[in-house]
Amino acid sequence: MTQRLTRAQLGVTDAMIAAFGETVFALSNNHQIRRGDPVRAKDFAAIEAHRHELGMGDAEIADRIGLTPAQVTLIRNLEERRRFRTGHYHMLNALGGGKRYRAERFVPFQDQFRFGEEALRLRAAFSFDPERVRSHVEQGWWRSDTLSGWLRRNARERPDGTALVDKRGTVSFSGLAARVAAIAAGLHHHGAVRPGDVVAVQLPNGREHVEILLAASALGAVTTTLYMTYRGAELEAQLHHSKARMLVAPDRIGDFSPARWLSTHRSELPSLAAVVIVGAEVPGTIPFERLAAGAPALPRDRREPTAADPFLLLYTSGTTSSPKGVPLNYHQMLTNARVGIEEHDIRAGDVVLSAAPFGHLYALYSVEMALGGGAAIALLPAFSPPALAEAVERLRPTHLFAGPAHLAACLGAGLVERMDLASLRLVVLSGAAVPPDLVHAFAPHLPNGRICQLWGMTELQAGLYTRTGDDVDVAARSAGRPSPGTQVRIADESGRALPPGEEGELQARGPSVFTGYFENPEATAGAFTPDGWFRSGDVARMDTGGNVTLTGRLKDVVNRGGVKYNPQEVELLIESLPAVHQCAIAPVPDESLGERACCYVVPRPGAVVTLDEICAFLLARGLAKFKLPERLEVLNELPLTATRKVIKARLRPSPTRLGPQPATPRQGREQTRDRSIQ
Amino acid sequence: MEKRPEVDPVEAKAEIFAYARRRGALAVGVADLDAIERIAPRGHRPTDLMPRVRSVVSIGVGGQTQGTWKVPAKAMAYFGSTETRAYSCSYALAFFIESRFQAPSVYCPPDLDNEEGPRVPLQSLKLHAELAGIGARSLAGDILLHPEFGYMYFASVFTELELPADEPLAENPCPAPSCVDMYRKQGRTPCMKFCPVQCLSGKIDDAGRQAEMHYDMAACAEMSEQYEAVPAVLAEAMAAGDETGRHDALFDPDHKMLWYKMSVGSGGLLAQCFECMRVCPVATRAELADPIRRARAQAGTGTGTGQ
Ligand code: SF4
Ligand code: SF4
Repeated sequence: MTQRLTRAQLGVTDAMIAAFGETVFALSNNHQIRRGDPVRAKDFAAIEAHRHELGMGDAEIADRIGLTPAQVTLIRNLEERRRFRTGHYHMLNALGGGKRYRAERFVPFQDQFRFGEEALRLRAAFSFDPERVRSHVEQGWWRSDTLSGWLRRNARERPDGTALVDKRGTVSFSGLAARVAAIAAGLHHHGAVRPGDVVAVQLPNGREHVEILLAASALGAVTTTLYMTYRGAELEAQLHHSKARMLVAPDRIGDFSPARWLSTHRSELPSLAAVVIVGAEVPGTIPFERLAAGAPALPRDRREPTAADPFLLLYTSGTTSSPKGVPLNYHQMLTNARVGIEEHDIRAGDVVLSAAPFGHLYALYSVEMALGGGAAIALLPAFSPPALAEAVERLRPTHLFAGPAHLAACLGAGLVERMDLASLRLVVLSGAAVPPDLVHAFAPHLPNGRICQLWGMTELQAGLYTRTGDDVDVAARSAGRPSPGTQVRIADESGRALPPGEEGELQARGPSVFTGYFENPEATAGAFTPDGWFRSGDVARMDTGGNVTLTGRLKDVVNRGGVKYNPQEVELLIESLPAVHQCAIAPVPDESLGERACCYVVPRPGAVVTLDEICAFLLARGLAKFKLPERLEVLNELPLTATRKVIKARLRPSPTRLGPQPATPRQGREQTRDRSIQ
Repeated sequence: MEKRPEVDPVEAKAEIFAYARRRGALAVGVADLDAIERIAPRGHRPTDLMPRVRSVVSIGVGGQTQGTWKVPAKAMAYFGSTETRAYSCSYALAFFIESRFQAPSVYCPPDLDNEEGPRVPLQSLKLHAELAGIGARSLAGDILLHPEFGYMYFASVFTELELPADEPLAENPCPAPSCVDMYRKQGRTPCMKFCPVQCLSGKIDDAGRQAEMHYDMAACAEMSEQYEAVPAVLAEAMAAGDETGRHDALFDPDHKMLWYKMSVGSGGLLAQCFECMRVCPVATRAELADPIRRARAQAGTGTGTGQ
């Protein structure tokens, strides 16, 4: 309608609009061309000659094309409307005050940063109860801590303080901050890593591991750690499930080359955009050092990570069957680390050493506390008793985070008596059941230090620990009391809290407890009680002082020197052997590792099965060495429930059981003992 | 109205100019009415608005402070809209001419033509100012620039009082020498290079003068004239497939800003984006474009104050 007249009254048809729209638009002042400076020169002839270019009024256009002025006005306005795009003024948000439009640099609004589909899926895994969120914030558990914020604070407050210390020397906080900024820029520039993307890291406890963790964090990316022992099947499963965009790995892990393996498996990992290799250059991959060299700095107005952003995606057990990826944000991780700094008495200038690999939550917990407390992170790339002894003497740690197997190995090797342990104020033991005798045997060697026992899980961080003031007996017989903020209870099967002294399942809740496994609703549903407590699967009892002692496990996992895994995938592989009818794997107690896996097999009629054959087959299928069964029991049948599920509690190894035993299975596997907990 | 007294047009013009300057005009001029009548399109000539008009007085007031050019663009879109000062000055001037010279006068509406829609002005204030000699067309979409005052806002008064017309500026300050240098090296001047929607292009001749100016006004309007977005957003809301889509179309922060600007009449809705002027050496660095230097000059220490 124009001038109160409808299109029909004006005599404008759709055909006319289609025919004249472009012309009317072009002749109008929507597009103007001026040749020379005719108005200022009052060159009327030139103005007349170029009126159609200068932009004509509707009446003039009407004269030229034989329509009425009102028809031209209507058609022009409709054409302007047809072409008009809203939202262009968003460009103003990114311009001015020193920022200029440049075609090559300008990112249109619709193309500007937003979380990718995969990042959104990861974020969706956090299903917080709004009431609890409010309570965590109100009670001050959840603040605005981020790892990059902690690094920045250290670089500002103690630029020359030691951030990293290893055999090669020290790195200051300002040096580490500069290097992390450069690597973050490199991750973004060379690896196309964006906020929310997952960076997979399979590295030993070296500088690069810390740098990549902090750089990914600075970028707002999420780190997933891969055990150093992972090979083909596990690597592929975790890279696939986590939808990792980048893998950072060494050129070689023993005789395994991650890059070479990837060269034949890349097509199965569509999310993987880049591979960064530490060490010798590998064609088709990005050398780690190139990340740190010469990438343009990240834009200053990029989105800084916030405390609610996911920053770790850690896998807790079998990755090929029902992978359990635990997404954790800064709130969950750093709340726990922040209170741990105080409880473990970590101060600026201290030195924190982890004998456990950074692939584990436990080791990452020590790294975060060191950073949060302004302490140095001491680096021990691979555990062996002599390497740990040397690191303690050379790097002078004040805090050692280790597994019982690490200390048992050092004691077993006769090293402890010869070590200078005077620098240690605290030795924290966790990752597997802690034998009381071990605590009592080690404690006298600490002239200035105490031992603490800690119980934690990826799902809840450090849940229990003994305190620095506790008697050594408490640390020997219990995992202590809940970390600040964490609530625990011992519950029976119906979820009823049990009184002190009674055994039941250890359950936890609090600001550090996860909210669900990444894309595994079945596992998530089974992980919580109806009233929101996390079911640890561990059996425990609490004394009247609130100290909790772990006595066993409900869950069907093997805990080999602190490395826990679900053997279901191994069972399935073994059952695929032609000679095997049925298979079940269950742990058997072990003095040094806590547990080892025993494989119970029912062979097919007439078939003979040996442990060597099984292990060779599993290795050929790419299984990590630490998951290889270390004992074989050949049975005529497995104990089954009515629904034909194996009753593993009834499986017991027996030296008298009949069946072919390999000639030297234990010796062969013993060789890998130390490496399996590196 | 009383019978008009005999008035010396030259003296009247001097009085009118002095009054306008007292009211804040930096530059004042009288446009050649015949030239406007010949150049302006039918329906948009002074006589279409005021049949007995004898003179068109054009005034220019200063543009932004120096600080304003440094703020982010989204803030600039608000601060930049200082044209109301020009309107109040010309409004007062129309009253002054009527009361002092008994000549019917009108403050020329700066508005859009309500019959033709939002891209067509009732009158071209730009044409008046250019012919009055207080600005020359630039390569930045014909925005007028003044060699001393840089970028100004313009307003006009139509009057039945006969006044001697001024001539357009003898020289066009655009392109500035530095712009010519840049054009020779890069094929673009600063305004062309930094316009966010790239709606400017053109050519400079061998003598360093404007040869061609191309201005995609439709793109510029999309960038900065959000009133056109209002019906588009409403149409988007009506076309949305579900209630969430309709709510998002109407209530998301961007669109709520449109309603806000409409309801309080805030500046910014009708603004230009100013990026072409932000980088223009004449707009920002002309001798008296800087209000601080201008104040010093007007205090008697320096340069003239225009016509
Ligand atoms: S106002 Fe903005 S969009 Fe329009 S010509 Fe100037 S820079 Fe370009
Ligand atoms: S930047 Fe200013 S002076 Fe230079 S060409 Fe553009 S409008 Fe003219």
